[in-house]
Amino acid sequence: MKRGDIWTKIIAVLFVAAALLTAWVWDGGARRVAGPAAGSDLYRADAAPARQPRPAEPVAATGSGEEFSCFLSVRCDTVLSNLALLAPEKREMVPADGVIFPAAEVTFHEGESVFDLLRREMRLAGIHMEFTNVPLYNSAYIEGINNFYEFDAGELSGWMYKVNGWFPNYGCSRYLLRAGDEVEWIYTCDLGADIGGGGAVTGP
Amino acid sequence: MSRRVRETFSAYHPLVSMTYFALIFTCAMFFLHPVCLGLSLSGALAYALYLDGKKALRFGLLYMLPLLVLTALLNPAFNHEGATILLYLRDGNPLTLESILYGAAAAFMLIAVIFWFNCYTAVMTSDKFVYLFGRVIPALSLVLSMALRFTPRFRAQITVIANGQRGLGRDPGRGSLWRRGRQGIRILSILITWVLENAVETADSMKSRGYGLPGRTAFSIYRFDRRDGMALLFITVCGAYIARGAVAGGVRFTFFPALAGAGGGLYSLSLFAVYGLLCFMPFFINVREERRWRSFVSKT
Repeated sequence: MKRGDIWTKIIAVLFVAAALLTAWVWDGGARRVAGPAAGSDLYRADAAPARQPRPAEPVAATGSGEEFSCFLSVRCDTVLSNLALLAPEKREMVPADGVIFPAAEVTFHEGESVFDLLRREMRLAGIHMEFTNVPLYNSAYIEGINNFYEFDAGELSGWMYKVNGWFPNYGCSRYLLRAGDEVEWIYTCDLGADIGGGGAVTGP
Repeated sequence: MSRRVRETFSAYHPLVSMTYFALIFTCAMFFLHPVCLGLSLSGALAYALYLDGKKALRFGLLYMLPLLVLTALLNPAFNHEGATILLYLRDGNPLTLESILYGAAAAFMLIAVIFWFNCYTAVMTSDKFVYLFGRVIPALSLVLSMALRFTPRFRAQITVIANGQRGLGRDPGRGSLWRRGRQGIRILSILITWVLENAVETADSMKSRGYGLPGRTAFSIYRFDRRDGMALLFITVCGAYIARGAVAGGVRFTFFPALAGAGGGLYSLSLFAVYGLLCFMPFFINVREERRWRSFVSKT
């Protein structure tokens, strides 16, 4: 083998080593920056007000825990006053009273979140629901229920949830249910301002 | 090549071909109505089969069929919208009939457009393109017609270089991975040298032939006669009728939340009929011409 070839190989190996080292240092720096800021948790949720439950880490619900009951409803009344914004083929699907899932007593198992409850109940009731998991917020995000999607009624529209009159400022997978909780899923056409939940979006 | 001799639609004036393809591309890309998709795909297939015969068929089965299946399967993996829930995926999102059908429709549209492009490249040769746009956008049409032929040219030149190297005993298909990689790089390096030199030579050659001088004329063999006028009129009338119908919602089709669209009405049917005529126009012209040709032959 010629001398030149050996040097080419040595330089190539050095290059790869330098690239790996750079990536490692860079990654460490990024991690330090992305750490929790003061007053918020690892997933950037602002601190919950006193008397309200703190966000929990979602765990796979085993379903073997104790059974409790709570209340669930799904509504889209705000769409009724914004029908013009809706696509014509979706307009026909709006229920006359805006109720998709009337308030009902439902059971859940210990350790289940608001998201687990919604997913199960929508499936049992045969109502369409789509979500995605967002690692940044460590929670599921509800994109659409009953084929009403985010942005369907204007660019400020989407689904929000409310428990016992409070709009939590963290994702629905992180809200652990307690017995007797009153869970409402409400469609907003104005980032929550039209349903009294603007604070969950813009901060207190 | 013997099939190409009786390809009549290519013999029409470039303006006719260009108008036709511009219209058909627009329609093929925007009309998602299943009837329109079927018409567009079958029209494109018929014409591609007429132009290329077995090659088009093999291309369709080998590449387009897997693409169809892939797109139809891939869409419902990411899109869960739709009123008809078939079953639930493992993560809890629904698998809906509408999302599968939408994926299939998008795949049909894609395949139809690819086949139309195959026909386009066979019919609209670069001399026709330069003839049409040489006056309107002289620089761009020249650049385009040159750029479009780079890929086939490079590929041909790569074969020449590889053969030459093989003759020297440096077969790029043999030896260890390292050796083959080095050989491949060498061929690329030779190619790039050739490309640079060739560019300079082309520029010199074109300059010496007077490209870019004012008043320079180009030879063209195209004549716009009655036949072309009739065809252009037909295309324009059909296009206007379909465009008006599309604006009025005559070919509307929505997949979400539930399948719905224009259908049974007489107006929609007339639109479909006209669109079908348009899609099969080159095919009809060719078949008619071929039949006429045969009848002449048999008489003598």
